[in-house]
Amino acid sequence: MSYAKYGYIFILPFFVIYFIFMLYPLVDTFIVSFKGNGLGPGVIARHESQRDWVGLASYKNILYKSGANHEQFLDSLKNTVIIWVGNFLPQISLSLLLAVWFTDMRVKMPGKGFFKVVMYLPNIITAASVAALFYTLFGGEYGVLNTIIDPKNASLWLGPADVWRARILVMFIQIWMWFGNTMIMLMSGIQGINESLFEAAEIDGANSSQTFWRITFPLLKTIMVYTLLTSMIGGLQMFDIPFMLSGNNNGHVNNEYIKTVACFIYEKFKGTENDMMYGVAGAASVILFFITSILGALVFYVQRDKDAIEKNRKRKEAMKEAKRRAKGGGFSI
Amino acid sequence: MNKLKKSLALIATLAIASSAFVACGDDSSSSSTADAGSSSTAESSAEGGDSSTGEEGGESSTADTPVERPDNKVASTDDKLTVLCWTGDDLNNMFKVFADNNDKGYTTDNLVFEKVGGGGEEARDQYPTYFNSGKDVDLFVLEADWIKDYIDKDDLTAPLTDLGFAEADFDNGYEYVKKIGTNDAGVIKGSSWQATPGGYVYRTDIAEEVFGAKTPEEFQQYVDNWEVFTESAAKVKEQKNMAMVDTLGGLWQVWSYKRTSAWADDSYNLVIDDYCKEYADLAKEYYDKGYVTKAEQWKTWDKAVQNGETMGIFQCTWCFGKNGTLSSLEGNTKTEDDATEWTVDGPFGSNWAFTQGPSGWAWGGSWLALSPKANSGEIAHDFVEFFTINAETMRKYAEYSGDFVNSPAAMKAIVDAGTNKNAYIGGQDQYGIFYEAAANIKMDNVTRYDSVLKKYFSDNISKYVQGAYSSTDEAIDGFKKDVKANVPDLAVS
Repeated sequence: MSYAKYGYIFILPFFVIYFIFMLYPLVDTFIVSFKGNGLGPGVIARHESQRDWVGLASYKNILYKSGANHEQFLDSLKNTVIIWVGNFLPQISLSLLLAVWFTDMRVKMPGKGFFKVVMYLPNIITAASVAALFYTLFGGEYGVLNTIIDPKNASLWLGPADVWRARILVMFIQIWMWFGNTMIMLMSGIQGINESLFEAAEIDGANSSQTFWRITFPLLKTIMVYTLLTSMIGGLQMFDIPFMLSGNNNGHVNNEYIKTVACFIYEKFKGTENDMMYGVAGAASVILFFITSILGALVFYVQRDKDAIEKNRKRKEAMKEAKRRAKGGGFSI
Repeated sequence: MNKLKKSLALIATLAIASSAFVACGDDSSSSSTADAGSSSTAESSAEGGDSSTGEEGGESSTADTPVERPDNKVASTDDKLTVLCWTGDDLNNMFKVFADNNDKGYTTDNLVFEKVGGGGEEARDQYPTYFNSGKDVDLFVLEADWIKDYIDKDDLTAPLTDLGFAEADFDNGYEYVKKIGTNDAGVIKGSSWQATPGGYVYRTDIAEEVFGAKTPEEFQQYVDNWEVFTESAAKVKEQKNMAMVDTLGGLWQVWSYKRTSAWADDSYNLVIDDYCKEYADLAKEYYDKGYVTKAEQWKTWDKAVQNGETMGIFQCTWCFGKNGTLSSLEGNTKTEDDATEWTVDGPFGSNWAFTQGPSGWAWGGSWLALSPKANSGEIAHDFVEFFTINAETMRKYAEYSGDFVNSPAAMKAIVDAGTNKNAYIGGQDQYGIFYEAAANIKMDNVTRYDSVLKKYFSDNISKYVQGAYSSTDEAIDGFKKDVKANVPDLAVS
């Protein structure tokens, strides 16, 4: 009697949940993307309904220049990239700075733990509450700032014509929510670096910036790549904050300049009877999936450990050489 | 080993990335709605068949009566009428009037109001879920903007004739109301208790100061058409630094009834004509020159009114009622019981009067629809008859609630009696103007894309006036793009 089966039983729940809630929707999204756009039951559709196969029509709709949703998709992709870059760069710089300070033994700051907790806190609040909070400050009719700047114009901030204020607001919220998280991650990375390296650097007379650029930064690369990757994936799928700030109950985002790809997908999916577009939403999801995958692979490729690969190659070569020699030597035992 | 780790990490990354798809639901839910709905239709029609054979329904159809009424096919197994709506404002008044004035002894205990959704559009989305939950539903309320989402689908709505009405019964009401309640196949699925013509409520003090007009009849000539209206707006702006219209939303509502051609033609092309450009130009002019305030419809409009930013407000029938929008203005309060005695003590007291304004228009309204799952056939029949067919009871409801009911006869009786005095507009009778306006409302060019198209059009115009586009053509191009991208049925040239 093998005990192995208990192992399988214990891991079963994960796989069941995974297959139902992750794998099935994933596969179904691919299926949906090859089907027509939605129309409620009972109405005679002029276009193919969500039950008909339409092949690549939805992809053409998005990717071809003549496609009806081409521009909208590109615009939303552009917004996504702008907002992500605008939030990632300041965020990682800030987090890195704070992480170095908090881990530096020479910085004697009282209440380090307190600050760490406070900085991590925004990440604990749900995105919906955060958005509600910022909407109260910047949003339409009763927004505090709009009331101060121009009380008669409710749609100044986050209104349909507001390009940069809205984007910067979203970037700021993302930074504020996530810098604590990133900071904790980087701190654990820094603490993982061998203490003696820092000591050696100190003894050799390296100053702080030299220590940072020659020791901390290179050794932190792995964790930075991880941060970059998770942040990129999260950033490309950004939905909650832009939608909560500007979305309406038809699934549309009123301010087009913070309409991310995920918002675009939701808008197409939701719609009312005459503008639900399941096929396009599915196709856009699949395209986003591939964009994310390709970018992820790219990051891995660029950040791969060249030294290790080189070493590996050399070791293999040396082994081959040794084997060849051994054969050539003609010894056979 | 290192490679294995890396590829594992990559797979993990992809798994995280794949969570992007989780939110994209599948289409199976809507098809299951269809299944559930159609099976229930089959059930109820089977039940209906039973009862009609049981009561020898064949005979009455052969009889030579002026109006042939079919039997009530809806089962009457439940003596509680359940009505779904997103607000109880109207229904609670209706229940009270119905309980007080019916001759069959129904009390408010026979009437159940179920709140679904927080607003009309939420209700539109949430009704199907409610229907599938198996909870009791007999009648439910639909809004003009999305009534077609429901009445074209036999699994969601049943013909009102199932309750034992003849189609001709609904001819007593306004024609446009009946038209909206009739689906593409010509079946009446919705009937309204109200008609909703609109007009222009204005400040009498300003009218007198700027135009020297003392009565609504005198003032009407300064707002009689859009050319004059704009001239007057310029005058008001110049002399009093006030806007003429409270919100862009109100302006659009009036204009949306001015369109003479359909939004989509018979071969499913989007129709862009001079009307679109005309409205875009007018909206821009009004917004830039301050003829309309920057307040939002039903959100900040009351502040704009109370702060004296505007001379007038576009208001329709239900704005004047007991729970109407005018009652939400500061100082205007409604008394619970006696519907005719509102107190009006706003910043401008009773300095308001009412006139028709530049063009005829209407605003929404609510329709009663019958659920195929209804099981309170008798009381449902009586309720629908009480509020949408019987002029006598409809008049009682109008007198109680201040609403404008869907019965020219009832309204004419009230106007002729001359007893109606609306406190919000200085005791003027709003019904007289509405009665004339209602007769002129036309609904000839309705397509089922209207609500979506109007939404995209007005959205793009608001973007335009707020500076997202630099010219009218750009705004109209934006509209075309939205339609092209979102309404796959229509061709855009």
